[in-house]
Amino acid sequence: MSGAIVRGRDLDPASLAIDVDAVVVGTGAGGSVALRELARAGLDVVAFEEGAHLTSRDFDQREDHMLAQLYQDAGGRATEDMAIRVLQGRGVGGSTVHNTNLCKRPADEILELWARSYGVAGAGPGDMRPSFEAIERDLSVSEIDPAMRNANNDVLRAGCDALGWRGGPLKHNRVGCVQSGFCELGCAYDAKQNALKVVLPQAMQAGARIYSDVEIVSVVRDGVRVAGVRGIVRAADGSRRGSVEVRARVVVLAASAVGSAALARRSGLPDPYARLGRGLRLHPGAIVAGRFDREIAGWRGIPQSYECTEHLSHEPGSDKRVWIVPAFAHPIGAAATIPGFGGAHMAAMRGYKNLAVLTAMVHDETSGEVGLGPDERPLMRYAMLESDRRQLARGLVACARLLFAAGATRVTIPAVPPIHLSNAAELEALDLSAVRPHAVPLTAVHPMGTMPMGEDPKASVVRSTGEHHQVRGLFVADGSLFPTSLGGPPQIGIYGFALHLSPRMVERARGG
Amino acid sequence: MAAALIVSGVAVRLRTRGYEAPSGRTLVVLGAWQWGVVRHAASRIAAPDGEASPSLPTAGDLDVAGFIDGWLSRMEGRVVRDFGRFLAYLEHVAPLGCGLMSRFTHLSASDQDRVLASLETSRSDLLRAGFEGLKALVFMGYYRDPRTWRVLGYDGPFVGRPAGGWW
Repeated sequence: MSGAIVRGRDLDPASLAIDVDAVVVGTGAGGSVALRELARAGLDVVAFEEGAHLTSRDFDQREDHMLAQLYQDAGGRATEDMAIRVLQGRGVGGSTVHNTNLCKRPADEILELWARSYGVAGAGPGDMRPSFEAIERDLSVSEIDPAMRNANNDVLRAGCDALGWRGGPLKHNRVGCVQSGFCELGCAYDAKQNALKVVLPQAMQAGARIYSDVEIVSVVRDGVRVAGVRGIVRAADGSRRGSVEVRARVVVLAASAVGSAALARRSGLPDPYARLGRGLRLHPGAIVAGRFDREIAGWRGIPQSYECTEHLSHEPGSDKRVWIVPAFAHPIGAAATIPGFGGAHMAAMRGYKNLAVLTAMVHDETSGEVGLGPDERPLMRYAMLESDRRQLARGLVACARLLFAAGATRVTIPAVPPIHLSNAAELEALDLSAVRPHAVPLTAVHPMGTMPMGEDPKASVVRSTGEHHQVRGLFVADGSLFPTSLGGPPQIGIYGFALHLSPRMVERARGG
Repeated sequence: MAAALIVSGVAVRLRTRGYEAPSGRTLVVLGAWQWGVVRHAASRIAAPDGEASPSLPTAGDLDVAGFIDGWLSRMEGRVVRDFGRFLAYLEHVAPLGCGLMSRFTHLSASDQDRVLASLETSRSDLLRAGFEGLKALVFMGYYRDPRTWRVLGYDGPFVGRPAGGWW
């Protein structure tokens, strides 16, 4: 039997009421794997995605078109205080459609920490290795050939080499990449081996059905058992055109650490120890730009193929919690970040092609929260700890050193007021108290930790199996699961944990 | 600061007349007065530098305010409401903070720059965030047009690229 993708905007009749074995909410990294594994087990399974179903033919490499279609809130999602912009995917394939393909397994130290300090059972490095290896095979993960490293990434490599700092090439899930450089706007060449291209088609081949344009608004319970979900079918303009009611023995939440937690809250799920939605980690990051005497044209080529890990350790209690990677933006993103406005801003934009840009991302300890606004939409609260703020400042200084070491003639930290530097020696006198939320534009792309796993119901929302402590048959399979931040790109961790937890979902869906 | 935003909200209820509605287009989200504030702000935020050629389009040429109106229609109601409050503050209250006894839209270009600069460097996190949000929208409306890419040396998307390039 072969499944299909049905666009909610085309659903006829516009409403749906079905009984299935299992339902998956969200079709990104975690949801796609859960869907596939349930379908491969011979179960009747459907997935719902609130965004649209777009394919490579729709990805036109225009920021003004794709931001609106591929990102939550048209790319404008932010923490409640507007201090941190949070870029999250929307649409079939979730954030795997717009991410830059970085593939790193969660560090062994992190998995060991979860086992030792957070009561996560059966998910140590040895337990997880088969799942990570299987996912890496599925996604054709490989190291980027140095010949494919663009000028912006080569600046980071040169900086690491000059300073003697630890750095190295990254692994990606891309095959047939033409190095267009538009990864964050969806791949027009189908080179991304992601949920959209690989995993969801496998799920459909096994019989799974996927509905796009359907927002699941509540999880339905029957006492202590999950009973299904209810949702709204949206038209292309976002208006309501129908409803969805699904009865199922298993519900898998895979709508991201923001979406899943918000859905759980809206549904009034039991939360006796007030853990739901708390523990939000973001990996907040900020950028530093260096101007070079030569053309960099950082928008061309693979955006992120090299990393600096000199200031990153995953050991618990480490004072090195900064991950540095290149972060070049297309014109609209760059213009929003370059300080100032008017003629001075345009003058700065004339140097766009000579800029190299790095980002320092914090392996954060801050524990934020996903709640609900008055309109029942997700609301993120995140008050950065002083220890994380210091890490951010350290990271920005490190980025500046790397840029100067690679030959930058001028370095700018886009703070209020902007910090312009002519040489690395000026960093010694820098007042780092200026590096703080609201004074430095912060962006986050890795929300995690809002429904953490663990054996202790007082300290976690779901068991180590991913099943909710209080609601039988309700599972989580996205970044919500992680008890701490990862200090690296989460997609392999999310895909891998979904695969690792899927046997229990199958067992429950079969009535076990 | 929250009090100032409330005051500006009251002010705008009293002073939303006398604004010219856009001709030839129907606004989706913005009111006529809001569209006017955005139009004036966009003309200063995306103002050209001294090297700009006459062929470089202005924010007005590109209908940046109209673009922002359309963009906001995709945003959450909470975001749109906050943006509207910020526009009210910009129009009615922010000039007072610079010693200017006039609406933002009635000021000279240089005075408008002063007001915008005061928001960009405001001690209020909320106002700076409002300014950054407005700036991001203006530059999205401006730098989406291939005619502006020559300034950057940006050769643009491969998809749909004209035989002679985008510019």
